[in-house]
Amino acid sequence: MRVRLLGFIDQLRAAGIRASVAESLDAAAAASALGVEREALRAALAATLVKDQADRSTFDSLFDRYFAVPERERGKGKRPQSTGAGSGLGQGHAAEAQRPAKEPKSQRHGAPRLDKSEAENRRQPSRAERAAERLARRREILTTPFEAMDPRLVEEAGELLEELSRRLRAHLRRRLRRARRGRLDFRRTIRASLGSGGVPVVPAFRRRRPGKVDLLALCDLSHSTATVSDFLLALLAPAVGLFRRVRLLGYVDRPVEISFEHGHLVPHEPLDLAARSDFGRVLQQLWQGWESKVTRNTLLLVLGDARNNRRPPRSDLLARLHTRARQVVWLNPEAPGRWNTGDSVMQSYARHCDRVIAAGNLRELTAAVESAL
Amino acid sequence: MTPAAKSPNIPPVQITPELVRDGLRRARYLTTAAVETTLYLSLVLEKPLLIEGPAGAGKTEIGKVLAETLQTDLVRLQCYEGLDEAKALYEWNYQKQLLRIQADREQERSWEEVNQHIFSRDYLLERPLLRAIAAPRKVVLLIDEIDKADEEFEAFLLEVLSDFQVSIPELGTVTAQTRPAVVLTSNRARELSEALKRRCLYLYLDFPGVEIEREIIALKVPDLDARLQDQVARFVNGLRKLDLRKAPSIAETLDWARALRALGIKELDAATVRKTLNLVLKHEEDLRQAETKSGGLLAGSKS
Repeated sequence: MRVRLLGFIDQLRAAGIRASVAESLDAAAAASALGVEREALRAALAATLVKDQADRSTFDSLFDRYFAVPERERGKGKRPQSTGAGSGLGQGHAAEAQRPAKEPKSQRHGAPRLDKSEAENRRQPSRAERAAERLARRREILTTPFEAMDPRLVEEAGELLEELSRRLRAHLRRRLRRARRGRLDFRRTIRASLGSGGVPVVPAFRRRRPGKVDLLALCDLSHSTATVSDFLLALLAPAVGLFRRVRLLGYVDRPVEISFEHGHLVPHEPLDLAARSDFGRVLQQLWQGWESKVTRNTLLLVLGDARNNRRPPRSDLLARLHTRARQVVWLNPEAPGRWNTGDSVMQSYARHCDRVIAAGNLRELTAAVESAL
Repeated sequence: MTPAAKSPNIPPVQITPELVRDGLRRARYLTTAAVETTLYLSLVLEKPLLIEGPAGAGKTEIGKVLAETLQTDLVRLQCYEGLDEAKALYEWNYQKQLLRIQADREQERSWEEVNQHIFSRDYLLERPLLRAIAAPRKVVLLIDEIDKADEEFEAFLLEVLSDFQVSIPELGTVTAQTRPAVVLTSNRARELSEALKRRCLYLYLDFPGVEIEREIIALKVPDLDARLQDQVARFVNGLRKLDLRKAPSIAETLDWARALRALGIKELDAATVRKTLNLVLKHEEDLRQAETKSGGLLAGSKS
C-alpha cells in the first residue's frame, strides 16, 4: 500500500499539485487510520494532499485512474475496520462519488493505465525539471526588461502579479499600523490618571493623522509603456482600501480617468491610444481639471518614459503640482542610461520630483512602488 | 480556574468514526460522508482542519458541532484585520498590576516579591489561543475567518499550531496537555500561505445538494408540509445555480421555510415566491434576476 501511495503522490506532483513530504506522511497516516475502502481513501487523500479546491478535479481523475478497482475485487476489498467511517456512510459516498467519477471514466477507457515502470521513467526527470523550470520562469518574468517581454511572458506575469500585489498590501498595512499608534501623549495620560488617584492606569497615545494618503496615479498608456502601466495598475488596484482615496488616470496626450476591473483596464472616456505622447498637455489639463484634487495629502505617482515628442514639457506645472502635493514620485521604465537621450526630457521633470526611480522590470517596479508608498 | 477542578472526572473521549458520525447526528448536523471522514481524520491525526467554501455552507457550524460531539468547550477566535498577539494570545492586565503596586506601596515589600506577585497567572488576561492551549482537557479551537487576519498573524499562528506551546517571558512556557482540536475557516478573501495549508487538513465545504438540504429542512422545520420542504430545497438549489451576488445560505433557506410555515402556505407558487423571496436573497439585483427566472425555477422545483 505504501508503495502505491508513493506512486500516486508522484503522479500528483507530476500533474502539478505540490504535495510536500510532510503532507505525504499525513496521507499515509490518514490512509492507515481509515483502511482501504475506496471512497474513504479518496476523502483521506484529498484532505491531506489537495489544499486548493482548484486542484480537486485533477486529483479526482488521477485517483480514479490510479486506484481503479478491477470488477472482481470490488466485493472483497473492504476491511472490517473500515466499516466505521466507510460502509455505514456508504450510501452518501456512492451518490457523491458519481459526480467526480463521470469525467475520468471516459478517460479510463481512452487512455490505458500507465505501465508502472514507464510512469517511473517518465516522472523522475520531469519532476526535477518542473521545479527548476518554475523557478527559472519566475526569475525570468521578474528580471526581463519590460520592452523585451513577449505576450506569452506578460500573460504568465499575471499570476505572479497577484502574489506581488499581496506583498504590497501587507507592506502598506504594516506601514499603516505603525502610524496608527504614536508616541505616549503625556498630557492626556496625566489628565486621564486623575480619575484613578494619579495612577496612570490607561496610557494615552498620540495619534498620527491622517494615516492613509490619497493616491493620484498617472499612467502612460501609449504603446511604449502600456504593459508597464498594466502591471502597475494590477499591483495597485487590489490595494485600493489602503489609501484614503485613489484616483487612477491614464494618459497619452491627455489625462482620462480609468479603472481597473477584473484584470483589465477600463478608460471612462474614449482615449486615442495611437496619439503621440504629450505630457506637457497632460500636465496642463491636470492642472486645470484636477488641481483642487491635489492636496497636502496627495501622493502623485507618475509612470512614464518622459518622451514628449519634442513638445513643450511644461515642467513649471509639475513644479506647481509639487508644491501642492505631499510627494511626487516618477517611475521610469527605461534604463537610466537612456534618460535624456533623444526626445526624453526626464531631467526637466526630475527637478520637480521628490524621487525618480528606474523601474525597468517587474522586480524593480515592485520595489519602487513599495518604497514610494 | 474552575475547569481545572472538574476535569479529572471526565475521561477523554475515544475517537472512532462512529463517534463522529453519531455526534454529528446528535448535534443535528447533516452532511456528506466525505465530510464526516475528514472530520474523523483531523481528530485522529490531531491535525488542524482548514475549511473553505462559500459563505453560509456551514463552516463555522462544524466547529460548534465538533465541540458538541467531543462534549467539550468551544474556544472561538474571530479573526479580523489588525488582530494581533495581544488580542489572540495573552496580555498582562496592566490596570490590575498598577493597582496592586499602588496598594502594596505602604507594605514596603521587596522588589522580587512584588515582581513575583504581579507577574502571576492572576494578572494574565488569557486570550483564545492561550485559553485553548492551557485548557486542562481537549477543547475545540475555532479560528474563524482566518483570511480576514493579516499575513503576519498567519505566520504567528503557524508557530502556535505546530508546537501548541506558548512562552510567556515572565511565567515560562505553557504547553498543551492535550492538543486542542483546531478548526480554521476561510472565505478565500485572500489566498492563505502554503505553509499554513501544508500543516492543515483541507476540506472544501460546498452547499449540500438537494437531498441533504431537504433532510436538513425536515430536521429543523419538521412541521412544514413534506412536499413544500422538497419544493423549497429544490428552489433554493436552483437559485444557487444562477449567477447571484450572494447565493442563499442554509440558514436563510431555513428562515424561508419557517416563514412559509408561519404564513401557512401549502404550495410554492409565483406569488408566494415574490412576497417572501427577500428572506433568501438580500441584494436588489439578485432579487430582480430571480424574479424573472422564478417561473423556470418553480417548474423545476415541482418535477
